[in-house]
Amino acid sequence: MNLTLNVNGRAVDVDAEPHDMLVDVLRDQVGLTGPRVTCGVGLCGTCTVLLDGEPVSGCILMAPLAQGKEITTIEGLPEDDEVVASFDRNHAFQCGYCIPGMVLTARDMIDKGHACSREEIREGLGGNLCRCGCYLKIIEAVEEAAQ
Amino acid sequence: MTWHLPTSVDDVVRTRAERPEAPIVAGGTFLGILVRQGLVEADEWISLQRVTELTRMHSAGDLSVGAMVTHRRLELDDTVRTIWPGVAAAFKAVASPRVRNRATMGGVLADADYASDPPSMLVASNAVAEIASVRGTRRVPVEDLIIGHYSTSMEEDELITRVVVPRPTGAAVYRKLRTRSQEDRPASSVAAVVHGETVRVVVGAVSDRPYHFADVCSQWRPGDLDSAREIGEEYASRIDYIDDNRGSAAYRRHVVGVEVRRALMAVAR
Ligand SMILES: Cc1cc2nc3c(=O)[nH]c(=O)nc-3n(C[C@H](O)[C@H](O)[C@H](O)COP(=O)(O)OP(=O)(O)OC[C@H]3O[C@@H](n4cnc5c(N)ncnc54)[C@H](O)[C@@H]3O)c2cc1C
Ligand code: FES
Ligand code: FES
Repeated sequence: MNLTLNVNGRAVDVDAEPHDMLVDVLRDQVGLTGPRVTCGVGLCGTCTVLLDGEPVSGCILMAPLAQGKEITTIEGLPEDDEVVASFDRNHAFQCGYCIPGMVLTARDMIDKGHACSREEIREGLGGNLCRCGCYLKIIEAVEEAAQ
Repeated sequence: MTWHLPTSVDDVVRTRAERPEAPIVAGGTFLGILVRQGLVEADEWISLQRVTELTRMHSAGDLSVGAMVTHRRLELDDTVRTIWPGVAAAFKAVASPRVRNRATMGGVLADADYASDPPSMLVASNAVAEIASVRGTRRVPVEDLIIGHYSTSMEEDELITRVVVPRPTGAAVYRKLRTRSQEDRPASSVAAVVHGETVRVVVGAVSDRPYHFADVCSQWRPGDLDSAREIGEEYASRIDYIDDNRGSAAYRRHVVGVEVRRALMAVAR
């Protein structure tokens, strides 16, 4: 099936079947490697992308469901994004594998006013796993970016 | 492959009647996993993504929730949080925001997964599902909709269009017990909703479907710890438990007694 997807502000034509998940289409056809597949069942958050500004798991999103939505990957955030800068300042990562998902999830929380307390930040990031265990610094980075 | 994009309920039920084999796709969180793992295959799919009438929600009088309303919307809506706090809490308890941004009211009822949060609260709240097909519309209490493991009383070609939750007349409490991680599905899901002088306690996620025992609930003395304990023990002993990686049957029997007791004490506060 031919689909037109709006990715990071531009329209891209892809060839995807319903059994193709959005994350694979973005990586293999659009060339965006920010979203990564790890668990493949919606649990860990490394495949996070924003659909109309809301985080979703790209690993379990049948590609045609993204039609007509604005898809944002980590590559689509502006160079000087405040959340990215705050992660940088706080050294809130080790290997960086989970970071695109963490940043996009935090971006949504901050934009919607759901990062007002540490408790709220912990809860909002609860579905994003960091194998390097950088949680404390990640929470600090989001807290700082939210201010 | 064909991805049908009907734009009205009439359109959906007609398309469904002609292609009963074609799966309905709502938020796609349940189907996405199955499709990715090769457990569900189809040549034709019917997506609800363009059926805007299914995304409507009204709260004048009873709460009417279109089948495509997401968990996240129910969790965050000010009116739902104020008037139906039990409903908001049960939907908020599901997984992570990533799942709740996609998962829908229709999807959670139609998949009838035993390990879900909302069904116990919907049954305890006397919610009723509206179901449509080319033969017309019918209303089914959620209590009679989910009848067993991944099975509902719907016909092949039927569509859930909305769910109506009556305006509460008393307090509501939702208790989710997680045994593995914060985002996990429940090991036990207990809802207690006060209706006038009585209470409806419903226990989900420990057996094939949610369970409610009206005769046990009728023994309730609000605020009385012994009464709450007795009801908890009675619920614990009546259910036939499953064993899975969230807890053994024996463990679940124990925690159901405790969770029901705590829910009853909390709802009487
Ligand atoms: C990582 C993860 C964690 C989860 N954790 C929890 C949890 O903690 N608690 C919990 O309760 N749930 C949990 N879930 C389950 C999730 O809530 C369900 O997958 C979701 O509610 C299904 O809704 P959907 O709109 O995505 O359904 P879909 O995947 O689109 O559809 C599910 C099924 O319902 C059918 N269907 C959908 N809409 C209708 C309709 N209107 N009429 C008739 N049939 C219909 C479809 O054909 C399909 O068979 C989790 C899911 C994931 C992926
Ligand atoms: S890879 Fe998608 S949530 Fe883990
Ligand atoms: S920084 Fe390595 S997984 Fe999070």
